[in-house]
Amino acid sequence: MQYTATISRMKAAGAPPRLSGFAQWADRHFKWLLVAPAVLLILALSIYPLLFSLVVSFINYDFQVPGHAFVGLKNFERVVFDPVARWSLLLTAWLSGVSVAIEFVLGLLVALTMVRGFPGRGVIMSILIVPLFISPVIVGQAWTLLLQRPFGPTNYILTQLLGQEVTIGWMTEAPWLYASLIIADVWQWTPFMFVILLAGLTAIPPNLYEAAELDGVNAWQAFWAITLPHLAPMMLLALTFRLLDAIRMFDTIFIMTGGGPGTRTYTASYYLYTVGFTQFHLSQATAGSWLFLVFTALVVTLLVRRLLKAEPV
Amino acid sequence: MAEVRITGLHKRYGAFHAVRGIDLDIRDGEFTVLVGPSGCGKSTLLRTIAGLEESSEGTIEIGGEVVNDFRPRDRDVAMVFQDYALYPHMSVAKNIGFGLKARKMPKPEVEARVAEAARMLGITPLLGRFPRQLSGGQRQRVAIGRAIVRNPRIFLFDEPLSNLDAQLRDEMRGEIKRLHQDIATTMIYVTHDQIEAMTLADRIVLMRDGLIEQQGAPLDLFERPASTFVAGFLGSPRMSFLPGTLKLDGSAAAIRLADTLLPVAPGRTLNGAADGQAVLLGLRPEHLTRAHAAAPAQGIFRYDATIDLLQPTGSRSYATFRLAGAPVMAELQAHDVSRPGERLPIDINMNRASIFDAKSERAI
Repeated sequence: MQYTATISRMKAAGAPPRLSGFAQWADRHFKWLLVAPAVLLILALSIYPLLFSLVVSFINYDFQVPGHAFVGLKNFERVVFDPVARWSLLLTAWLSGVSVAIEFVLGLLVALTMVRGFPGRGVIMSILIVPLFISPVIVGQAWTLLLQRPFGPTNYILTQLLGQEVTIGWMTEAPWLYASLIIADVWQWTPFMFVILLAGLTAIPPNLYEAAELDGVNAWQAFWAITLPHLAPMMLLALTFRLLDAIRMFDTIFIMTGGGPGTRTYTASYYLYTVGFTQFHLSQATAGSWLFLVFTALVVTLLVRRLLKAEPV
Repeated sequence: MAEVRITGLHKRYGAFHAVRGIDLDIRDGEFTVLVGPSGCGKSTLLRTIAGLEESSEGTIEIGGEVVNDFRPRDRDVAMVFQDYALYPHMSVAKNIGFGLKARKMPKPEVEARVAEAARMLGITPLLGRFPRQLSGGQRQRVAIGRAIVRNPRIFLFDEPLSNLDAQLRDEMRGEIKRLHQDIATTMIYVTHDQIEAMTLADRIVLMRDGLIEQQGAPLDLFERPASTFVAGFLGSPRMSFLPGTLKLDGSAAAIRLADTLLPVAPGRTLNGAADGQAVLLGLRPEHLTRAHAAAPAQGIFRYDATIDLLQPTGSRSYATFRLAGAPVMAELQAHDVSRPGERLPIDINMNRASIFDAKSERAI
């Protein structure tokens, strides 16, 4: 600005401008030049592929069928009427709902236990959050080994505990294979819930509990009247984050069940991956992705709206 | 209503000894203020009475009953916290009535009691609001309402006015005093503000390093402080301390401050004092006035002072001058003095002056 003002003064004084035309243009649009690389990067890596995928979902883009003719809503039709797609969406909702619910309850219980100081609390907390640092692929691999039949230790331990032979096919028999996926997810992500809820719990002013104790309020009443309302925004935040992550569930399934047996453990992500990258029906997978995006956006909008409504104290 | 008796009370946090042997009797209906600087153990003592802290040693009796092993809820005490501790998700009415509801009191009775408490505190129009919609003063009224609605045997206040601005603090101080007059329940009030202590208390308990330094009626502590600590803590501006030597000559006594000899007021007893003893003469600003009478009355020492510093407050001015080399502050009428450098005759009221042993800093 100051530079431009100097130039104007020089012009007014009749002095010849010292800057060339390009330099003047660059000076005027300097802010745009600064943000241009970032904007170009986003355009190239996000906006263009997004728009391209929208185009692809309406044309034929299939490695098994030549040509790229416009096919209208056919790709969407294929997904909607594919029973595997419907099952995968249902399974995604069911698996993520159950896993996140269990993680939430366990995380809350652990957070409520850990909020008070006791000897060894630091060490226990460090151990508890270790699963968060492990790649989901490794988690899947580890649980595969633990649950494997006949060599995994799980069936052996159950046999010893129950006193009769246990031969569960954890990764092959329903409903055990769903339980396996949920166990692996819960094992890895309960610490996430725990950490966020613990942060929320420690932020509650302790003198509220003291006032309640003097008021003759019991622990259960204090939980409903103080803990829960204070923790609600944090709970919603943790649930939103986890749900968004859980509905993308892919890695553990890829490692543990490979979507099988058959298509029994196809989640939405796994279904789209199979259609797109193993069967190479790219336009069908893209149309499915868009449908899944709409479904996810609905859930997100609902959760975020609630999250924004949760008033700070 | 109940009396409180504390005997040999200690509170330790690991190696830190917060309360170091307190004996205290609080009469039924008395307004007792625990006052002292930060970290003196006054809040710890209050929280121990409430049961929010466990005592390490000693007993606490409320209404003749030892309550050491009672949970806070079973001690029948109510507490008002510095930061109000209101339940943020409940309306004012629910905040006030929550304790009664938790104790399974019938709803109509809860409503009646809440309405009565709100009426007493002038917060009836606020009953439907939430704490976040209230000002600091209104929140503290709600906190007090929550305490009085339960009709407890003892009220405990933990620096309840510290978060309020000066004007609101004055107003609330008056309201708490009026409340005590109306309900006449035993109240124990913690503050570090000596004005609150002086204005509210029937009895002040001044604490220092986990011990009681002095206790008694506010004016007793103000006029007859037991130590330089008490004398310096109570009163604003603070008492001036002038180092000198005690001269005893038969029944007459005087204090020598460098080249000035100030006679001690006749009839004043000097416990265990010895001739030549190093002392500190304690003079409050109001003990020094501008001389108007032709001759000073008995116990008044007149001194020609040159004013070094003047701090006008409107109706009064605080004038600092040097007496035998040490700075002393006098509280003068605004029209008594016009500018620094002015020479004035100052009357020092030795009848009200305090004398302390210079070594132990205890009053003699």
